[in-house]
Amino acid sequence: MQYSPDWNPGLRRSYNMAVIETRHLDKVFRIPHEKRNTLFQALTGFFTPMPFETFHALKDISISIEDGEMLGIIGDNGSGKSTFLKILSRIIIPTSGSVLIKKRVTPFLELGVGFNTDFTAAENIKIYGIIMGLTPREIDDKADDILEFADLTRFRDTRLRNFSSGMQVRLAFSTAIQTNPEILLLDEVLAVGDMDFQKKCLQELERFKQEGVTIIFVSHDLDAVKKHCERTMLLNHGEQVMLGETNEVIEKYTVPL
Amino acid sequence: MLIQFLRERYNYRHLIWILAWVDFKQRYKNSVLGYLWSLLEPLLMLGILYIVFSNLMKNPVEHYPLFLLMGIIMWSFFSRATTSSLASIRFKPSLIKKVYFPRDILVISNCTTALLMSLFESVVFIMFMAIFRIPLSLNIAYLPCIIFLFYILTLGVSLALATLNVYYQDIQYIWALVLQLGFFATPVMYPLSVFPTSFLKILSYNPLAQIIFIARDVTLYSKVPNAASLAFVIVIAFVILAIGYAIFARLEPRFAEEL
Repeated sequence: MQYSPDWNPGLRRSYNMAVIETRHLDKVFRIPHEKRNTLFQALTGFFTPMPFETFHALKDISISIEDGEMLGIIGDNGSGKSTFLKILSRIIIPTSGSVLIKKRVTPFLELGVGFNTDFTAAENIKIYGIIMGLTPREIDDKADDILEFADLTRFRDTRLRNFSSGMQVRLAFSTAIQTNPEILLLDEVLAVGDMDFQKKCLQELERFKQEGVTIIFVSHDLDAVKKHCERTMLLNHGEQVMLGETNEVIEKYTVPL
Repeated sequence: MLIQFLRERYNYRHLIWILAWVDFKQRYKNSVLGYLWSLLEPLLMLGILYIVFSNLMKNPVEHYPLFLLMGIIMWSFFSRATTSSLASIRFKPSLIKKVYFPRDILVISNCTTALLMSLFESVVFIMFMAIFRIPLSLNIAYLPCIIFLFYILTLGVSLALATLNVYYQDIQYIWALVLQLGFFATPVMYPLSVFPTSFLKILSYNPLAQIIFIARDVTLYSKVPNAASLAFVIVIAFVILAIGYAIFARLEPRFAEEL
């Protein structure tokens, strides 16, 4: 289904300003039957071909995401949602097709942002902030807010390995959202924290929306998608089944053919 | 292209520095005692090698304790940097799979940590220089340049190792063996005069040996570095860095899938 930008002009902040554009994006994973992971095996097996399966994770995804929109992505497990986000965040490279990204991407994938459990909360916040392009001074200023939002101020100098998994995820999420995101990629963010924390997160997301941050929201929680996203993409076995107004897409997803 | 590459690394300088610094503090457990403790390691090594070799050698080497200490510090920089870099990508899957930044930053910061540690150990060396009243000459001005070349060479080796270790898990064991052999093939503890000339020819192709010779010449013996060895070291250091980056660039795109 072709999406037309004027279906609800009231919700648009700017027209025809795509911050992410993918064209005919394909990703094929090669899964070897038997992994050769020593140099010895690689040398001895140099002349024998390595049998492998291919897994077509994404097929011909073409989408243009506008500045300031909140796009939902839904689909069954294994439909390619996470792979798509990983390509947008430059963690894996597509097999073919093109990706154009015009702003800084802040990914929050698989409930983490790449913290090192040997380092303290403060050190991790600093490293992450710098990866995200903040200067050391800017991140120092923000550290207190991040810890306060995660309700972890007392654990500033505690190593992350001593944090519970819930504490780690809360810290990761607050760090990600407090580093002036321009494009936020959120994968199953509603699994973060307890009810109170989730509520705080969703409020924060609404504020970002008002401020014009582009958000890509992957979730199995269709109610949340319905509530927050104007536009949604449905993926099934790597194919872009439908892209359009959220209610219509969810209807297509929930009502079997 | 090269300028763009350098500019991007320059933009990540804060990241290189913070990763190296946090790692450095961590190794010394954030304690004063930890820092002092780490100085004992080279001193102990110095003590043992000194006792053994000063009795073994027929022709004593001038300033032998310092000759030895300089070799030990430089060798441990190389061995520490390459060993820690081996693990730098392979054992950081959480970082590689969750957020993007140029992956070579991890290797650069590991080599920088090793450099910081070696500079810290050099405090002992400077103390010994003062105790033995070694005369300094202007030739010491060559030293920063030699350290730079040594860093470049080590970074090249480390990049190749860190990359290959993602794909081949036995690299780390092979490398531990290579390092052990390398320690004896590099004149850390003996002067060249212990060997026959035919053997010297082979040894002169070891860039680490050349770097250590030059460093000793300029600091301990007030000599101008041998132009031929210096040229050899410059060429080799950059060639190894280029090879390291070539291997890295070829295999880097699939790191996240492989880990």
